Amino acid sequence: MSWDNLIYFAGVAVLFWAAGAWAAWKQKSMLASSATVAGLLVFGCFIVLMWISLQRPPLRTMGETRLWYSFFLPLAGLITYIRWKYKWILSFSLLLSVVFICINLLKPEIHNTTLMPALQSPWFAPHVIIYMFAYAMLGAAAVMSAHLLWFKKTRITTNDMSLCDNLVYVGTAFMTLGMLTGALWAKEAWGHYWSWDPKETWAAVTWFTYLIYIHARIGNPYRKKSTLYILLLAFLFLQVCWWGINYLPSAAGNSIHTYTLD
Amino acid sequence: MRINYGKFSEGILICIGLTVVGLVLQFTVGSVDWNNLAWPINLIILLTYILLLFILYLYRKRFHLVGRALHYTTVVPALASVVIMTLVMGLVKQAPAHSGSTDLLGLSKMTSFWPFVLIYGWNVTILGWAIIKHLCTFKWRKIPFLCNHLGLFIALTCAVLGSADMQRLTMFLHVGDTQWRGIDAEGRLKELPLAIELKNFTINEYPPQLQLINNETGKALPEENPEHLTLGKDFTHGNLSGWDIRSLKRIENAVPKISGDTIDYIESEETGATFAAFIKATSADGKQVRQGWVSCGSFLFPYQDLYLDTLQTLIMPDREPKRFVSEVIIYTQDGQKTGIAIEVNKPAKIEGWTIYQSGYDETKGKWSDFSIFELVSDPWLPAVYTGIGMMILGAIFTFVIPRKNKEENQ
Repeated sequence: MSWDNLIYFAGVAVLFWAAGAWAAWKQKSMLASSATVAGLLVFGCFIVLMWISLQRPPLRTMGETRLWYSFFLPLAGLITYIRWKYKWILSFSLLLSVVFICINLLKPEIHNTTLMPALQSPWFAPHVIIYMFAYAMLGAAAVMSAHLLWFKKTRITTNDMSLCDNLVYVGTAFMTLGMLTGALWAKEAWGHYWSWDPKETWAAVTWFTYLIYIHARIGNPYRKKSTLYILLLAFLFLQVCWWGINYLPSAAGNSIHTYTLD
Repeated sequence: MRINYGKFSEGILICIGLTVVGLVLQFTVGSVDWNNLAWPINLIILLTYILLLFILYLYRKRFHLVGRALHYTTVVPALASVVIMTLVMGLVKQAPAHSGSTDLLGLSKMTSFWPFVLIYGWNVTILGWAIIKHLCTFKWRKIPFLCNHLGLFIALTCAVLGSADMQRLTMFLHVGDTQWRGIDAEGRLKELPLAIELKNFTINEYPPQLQLINNETGKALPEENPEHLTLGKDFTHGNLSGWDIRSLKRIENAVPKISGDTIDYIESEETGATFAAFIKATSADGKQVRQGWVSCGSFLFPYQDLYLDTLQTLIMPDREPKRFVSEVIIYTQDGQKTGIAIEVNKPAKIEGWTIYQSGYDETKGKWSDFSIFELVSDPWLPAVYTGIGMMILGAIFTFVIPRKNKEENQ
């Protein structure tokens, strides 16, 4: 299995997801769910085959983490769909997933088969997979808040807000787990559970910003617009944490979280 | 967007006040020195702090601050200040551990910067009162809340106060030597309650690779998306940017033999021996054929590359380590003797110390004859892990237990 095969697997998966999204609009929930699951299986196959052929989990380079992101977005969409029956959610998760697939098709990054000793750990896969799932949920929350702030013509309803809340609660719970599994792994690999490495610092910034949203919403459930802006800001910080720090002068050459080889 | 700042003004003022006080402290007494809090001072501080939190909570009718602190109009500004402080930390390049700040204000050493410490302290204080409040009115359904909040409280206070008791030492050890002292970050020798004897040190490397580089810039080609060929055991031929690459002969441990102006590689087990492959490269149109030895070299022998044309050269980059293992015997003071293999991600734990594989002589690569260990003792770790464990439980509860919609209830 090589990166060149992505287009076939992704193509089939996207067709299934599109069928699912269409079925959701048509209120055929059984068809919507099963088509989405079929797409997930196809895309999941690609990840598993990549994993086998690389002889390590495909989680190291940006391109590889985007692969998981493309997988988890429809999964998060499906869970949200089954749980709350928003008929637009599958179209939305499909759209985001396609964006990440396109980036991977147009600009795949070096896919080296080597994995340095620090990454050879049972913590590696859960740590990154949990984070990617959290990112997918929080990405959905960010797009939802942008929709509510700028595109929705009618009043923001309680239901709209509780969707945001639910996505943020699940996303933040997973983010907390990602951060804590990271701390436990860091203790095994680097000797300390928290070293204020630039990636860790930005993870803390992001985490606290989502806590502001949660506490502001609990404090005053009638506050809608101002809290939605917090979600957008938090998602911006999340981007800095995920890939932005590679371009930050304060983090350059200073982070032990950099694994790309030049 | 309408925000009634008036409601938040008290919370905002507290944070501004703490920042100002912090700045004054920073310029008068200097940065926070966490090393002053070594055992038992840190335990006394922690117990006094918790006692004080309880007392202030009990007399909350007299100290209005407690009641105000628990209101979200105070919590949100407090969290926002934490975000701002941490944001500054993320934007200013931090000085390495155990060296002072590199700027006048102290921003490059945020963990010792008074405003940072006071703002975090204020958040932990609010956290403490919130926990006490919910403990005093305990109900089973508050378990998730308590896991999240108490877990964070325990993890933060114990990690910060315990940091002075944490020891991190480095130990350099040659194969065959025994050592019972480590060097701390300030370069002082410290005696340990154990001794380590290095029996053997081995490195496994990933298979060598071939790459094309630009003759002028030295950059890997194609520049946007460099390609490489992995010379695994079963490699016979492959393709790099149109060039057909064939491996005619490979030697795992080879040394170069120079006779006149030709270089040949012969099998050898001597120190510094390195991988070499005899490569035949044919251009896409079949017109150009080059052949010769390619080797990644070692600390003793130079690289060997294969010139293809005026634009590009075939090279073998340094091999990457896959695994490095130190086989050691650890002796403890009570006469115990333990043989164990230490590698990255697999530290050894003994007598309250954790021994990590940290490095080796990188200039010599797989011929390194010494190993570097990091030894860490962190007596507060069980407490911090208790906090982390509670937070993990709390996060799982948050995810699993459905939330009530507060707005609907009101």
